[in-house]
Amino acid sequence: MTGMKLDDRIGAVASAAVDYPWLGDLRAENILRWVALELGELLREAEPAEYGRQHCFAQPLTPILHVVGGNTPHAALQSLIRGIIVGARNRMKLPQGGLPEVDEFSLRLPSALRPELAVQLDPGWAQDAEAVVVYGSDETVREFSQRLLPAQRLLAHGHKISFGLIWGSLEQGLVDGAARDVFVFDQLGCLSPQFYYVAGDSEGFASLLARRLEELCLATPVTRRGQEIAAALRGCREEWKFRAATEPGIVVWESAGTLDWVVIHDPAAVPAANPLHRTIFVKPMPSELGSALAPIRHQISTVGLHPVSLESVRQAIRLGAQRVCRIGQMQNPPLTWHHDGWPTLASLVRYVDIEGLG
Amino acid sequence: MMASLETEILRFLNEPSEDKFEPLALAVFEYQRRQNPVYASYCEFLGTPQQVGSWKSIPSVPQQAFKRSELRSFAIEQTRAEFRTSGTTGEGYGKHFFQSLRLYEAAVQRSWDFFRLPRHNFVALMQHPDDAPFSSLCRMGGFLADFKRECFFITRNGCLELDRLKDRLTDRGKPLTLFGTALAFLNLMEQAPNLRVELRPGSIAMETGGFKGSGRDIGKRELYDRLFGQFGITTDSVWNEYGMTELSSQFYSYGLNRPHRSPPWMKFLIIDPNTNEEAPPGEVGLLRIFDLANLWSVLAIQTRDLAIAQPEGGFLLLGRDPGALPRGCSRAVDQLLQLIRD
Repeated sequence: MTGMKLDDRIGAVASAAVDYPWLGDLRAENILRWVALELGELLREAEPAEYGRQHCFAQPLTPILHVVGGNTPHAALQSLIRGIIVGARNRMKLPQGGLPEVDEFSLRLPSALRPELAVQLDPGWAQDAEAVVVYGSDETVREFSQRLLPAQRLLAHGHKISFGLIWGSLEQGLVDGAARDVFVFDQLGCLSPQFYYVAGDSEGFASLLARRLEELCLATPVTRRGQEIAAALRGCREEWKFRAATEPGIVVWESAGTLDWVVIHDPAAVPAANPLHRTIFVKPMPSELGSALAPIRHQISTVGLHPVSLESVRQAIRLGAQRVCRIGQMQNPPLTWHHDGWPTLASLVRYVDIEGLG
Repeated sequence: MMASLETEILRFLNEPSEDKFEPLALAVFEYQRRQNPVYASYCEFLGTPQQVGSWKSIPSVPQQAFKRSELRSFAIEQTRAEFRTSGTTGEGYGKHFFQSLRLYEAAVQRSWDFFRLPRHNFVALMQHPDDAPFSSLCRMGGFLADFKRECFFITRNGCLELDRLKDRLTDRGKPLTLFGTALAFLNLMEQAPNLRVELRPGSIAMETGGFKGSGRDIGKRELYDRLFGQFGITTDSVWNEYGMTELSSQFYSYGLNRPHRSPPWMKFLIIDPNTNEEAPPGEVGLLRIFDLANLWSVLAIQTRDLAIAQPEGGFLLLGRDPGALPRGCSRAVDQLLQLIRD
């Protein structure tokens, strides 16, 4: 426990988050609404809240161990903020290269709320933790799940795949939004689209998307990529160029002389392996969407839609979506979203029921 | 016409001459562009002029192209041999077709001559080529062992013939040449952990392939240490062959942290993946290989392997790029053995 009251914790987070607009709208009143939505008054320390015929407290699971990957600082900070708000003590195992944004954010917090950060995992941390939040590959998740006792709560955020479904007219606003969703965070987040299915002129959409990505990259140049990432991107790009030369329907648009972005039009229904870093596939809408996506059904995170209608939403839910939104908003989930299908605060508390209090 | 190009390359393999590499490479490029419609489409797609000025400008196909297309520089009905990649990646397997294996055999034999590698008393930790007709590695072993069945110690079903192998290893009459995948050596050491043999001086081990995708992994140093511990083969007598089904020739190195070198009919470039141009000296990049013996498919192959050119020649292999899917004959053999054990 941090010793700080809920309102103070919320104030501290809101203040620290002022310079991090990409974390979403973390003004105090928004955080309060989020807490109220998930936990009502149960997190208030003053007195137990009425809960049906009994009373109830929500106690933080503490300490929380957060194990984060190197993809983006976004998930790490979101996880940390959730832990702080519920009132837990937080420890974070950072990726080998560290995450400077997490260090900077921590320094903006009052010392009582600062997490313990380490690149090397202290074995005691996993043992002590009441909850372990893991972001990473399925192997990483499996490794941690084997270390924990059944009483310890594991919140596993394994690899996820997001994509978009597009019907109707291909207006410029749609293209702008689709490009922005690919562009943000270098496409490394679990909410980043890896492919778009397009009903109608999929190749025309791919061409427009390529032009917009080129404009975005001109406005915000990409720094030269490390050799290992560059090798993966080059390998993918050259393979698809070969396929474009020899197989019908495949077309590749790419940034000239750089690895900034690539758009690949691929008529095959099944998703292809994607090395990310602004590699986006555009595919014709398959007649059997469910079959095409069956291999990734359990990894689906966000499905971006155009248009958002009851019909398209139902379609996305049937496919296994955890989150459905408008294309252009894929990277901007609201504070109150259920990350991978769970409530983000309520998953980090245990409920204490009190009977006979009157 | 083609017989003569094959003959010219064979002559080069037998009597290499640096100044003949480029004209031969350009002749092979022109031939392949004429005869190989898939490659011709690719060159056209890239906008490659009909004639290029240097071997370095010959377009390379990505290694994965062998999985997608039939890169055949001769009429399909003239196919005399087909080698396949292991196909363990879920993407299907790559196929390499040959009109004749004369160049392939010559490349194997002349490479071993070039590096002064012994091939007497051959112990091949692999299947006989008759039992694995699509394995380029087994065919290579076949050429080196003169196809003698007694030299091969893995059965058609993938079982290591341990007793027969022990007899062979403990017969201390002559130095031996052990040849197999790194995983085959690992399997041998796991199945016979107490076997200790001091092989005669002059014995070597030739290992090839890695462990990626096998679910098992030991470092090269540990592998070499164990080869010394169990068989008395010193680290500098352990060689590594770096090859692939898509090529007809191989690179070789020995010991630890030494560069891989090619026979004279192969060249390589290190490509900066950011620019797709030749990397400055000393920079890490992707390995692009030019193999004159690859007459029947495509001369130039772009791999996904990272390497760094060495000032004294050759390259240090740094490993596969992180986006590449696991592949390799090494894994195929390992899977076979694992299946049998399970």
